[in-house]
Amino acid sequence: MIQILIQGFLLSGLYALIAVGFTLIFSVGRVLNLAYGAYLMLGGYAYFYTVQQLGVPKLPGFVIAVATGALAGLAMYQFLVKRLKGDHVAVEISTLILAVVIQAAIVLLFNESSKILLPIVDGVWRVGSASVTNNILTAMVASWFILGGLMLFVKRTHLGRAIQAVSMDAKGAMISGINTDRINLTTWAISGALGATAGVFFASYTQLNPSMWVSPLIIAVAVVIVGGIGSIVGSLIVAHIIGFMEIITSSLIAAELRGVFTMLLIIGVLVLRPQGLFGRGDL
Amino acid sequence: MALLTIENLFAWYGMAESLHGVSLSLEEGGIAGVIGPNGAGKSTLMDSIMGLVTVKGSIRLGGREIIGLKPAELVRAGIGYAPERAHLFPYMSVRDNLLVGAYTARGDIEKNLELVHGLFPVLAERWAQETATQSGGERQMVSLGRALMTSPRILLVDEPTIGLAPKICAGIAEALLRLNRETGLAILIAEQNVNFAMQLARHIHVLETGSVAVAGPTEQLRSDPELAKAYFGH
Repeated sequence: MIQILIQGFLLSGLYALIAVGFTLIFSVGRVLNLAYGAYLMLGGYAYFYTVQQLGVPKLPGFVIAVATGALAGLAMYQFLVKRLKGDHVAVEISTLILAVVIQAAIVLLFNESSKILLPIVDGVWRVGSASVTNNILTAMVASWFILGGLMLFVKRTHLGRAIQAVSMDAKGAMISGINTDRINLTTWAISGALGATAGVFFASYTQLNPSMWVSPLIIAVAVVIVGGIGSIVGSLIVAHIIGFMEIITSSLIAAELRGVFTMLLIIGVLVLRPQGLFGRGDL
Repeated sequence: MALLTIENLFAWYGMAESLHGVSLSLEEGGIAGVIGPNGAGKSTLMDSIMGLVTVKGSIRLGGREIIGLKPAELVRAGIGYAPERAHLFPYMSVRDNLLVGAYTARGDIEKNLELVHGLFPVLAERWAQETATQSGGERQMVSLGRALMTSPRILLVDEPTIGLAPKICAGIAEALLRLNRETGLAILIAEQNVNFAMQLARHIHVLETGSVAVAGPTEQLRSDPELAKAYFGH
């Protein structure tokens, strides 16, 4: 039971970190960035390449990974999304295609085989009979710090309020002197950085492979749909619902059914409460 | 001296031409009104000045041509805008809505908050309330307050009385007159409510289907029986 609780909290923290960058873009641009999973993949592979292949120390390697994600987000907005001028369907199709292209590039550079990403933090933490790796524990703590920091940033800074303003009323934001294009660009960069951060932890929790972008994307979509449009707090709560649901399913029923209830939850919410459990349009 | 000069302005929403050669001007420290029925082009005119629609012609602010500038640049240049239906941020508090208005004028926050709270004391009392839960009158006050937080040289106000009770309209009129009197801020008001506009404006421009049909000093238009009957209903 303790093991389930601990694992549930740890996995949920990781899922919250995975989902929050996706939530941010959905909230500000009202668009599903289907290449979001690719940020995680880029972060994971950038960390793997710099730390495990080039021998760069872990911290600078981590920073490079996060910067890679931020740059990917910037480039995606500047050269693709901006040019599609708010055509949501076109953005969603294009970002999905882009994710497949990035997957192909990863195969070309690193081949198709799975790779083990060494833990960012070594060691194991024991509580009675239960034990968890320090790596996933760090991921959870980092996730809470990042989410807390993001909440403070959004609520307490001029730039954060500008991001909120654009997400609620773009015209209102424009006539307040906010350059909505620059806010979108910033949001995509932050989202890319958050995705890459999550990617490093996710890859060290699972494995690195060229199709690893799919399952985090499903988690992120699930959190946004179930949580509702663009609510960071909603995302946090739903990440915990999904995380615990998966741990309980795989521990008590069957590991093969782990993701099935998440899918059923998405369908259930779409049918019964399309606006999501917490959706009302604010961050 | 004219602070805002609009000459031969054409505007388009998509393929539809909404303004056809509109010209008007507003003096430093003056109040001008643009009146007309629904669909006359009042909001299009305001959006055109704010860089929100495609336009052709000339709009000068203090002698500087501003066509082609983006809304954020126009706010920096000194245009404050309280649009029709307010366009507030519904799940943010009154204070945060006002602080968003200060995005380009962060050095003036305390001074501008004092001005806004002086004009609309209720906003100081309800600073933590989300604007989604406010009355129409309070939302209009937040909209005007947010525009004032940009430290404008000219204030554009579009349909400030729409859907409001007469008593609230009178309060808004009084606040705008006081603002103009005490700070010398130039105000351009677009209104369907003719009496409201004539109560404030020294010059009136009557818009009809995208063109200025009649324009002149308010008193002159009011004293012309034919114009008064045709446009002001009395």
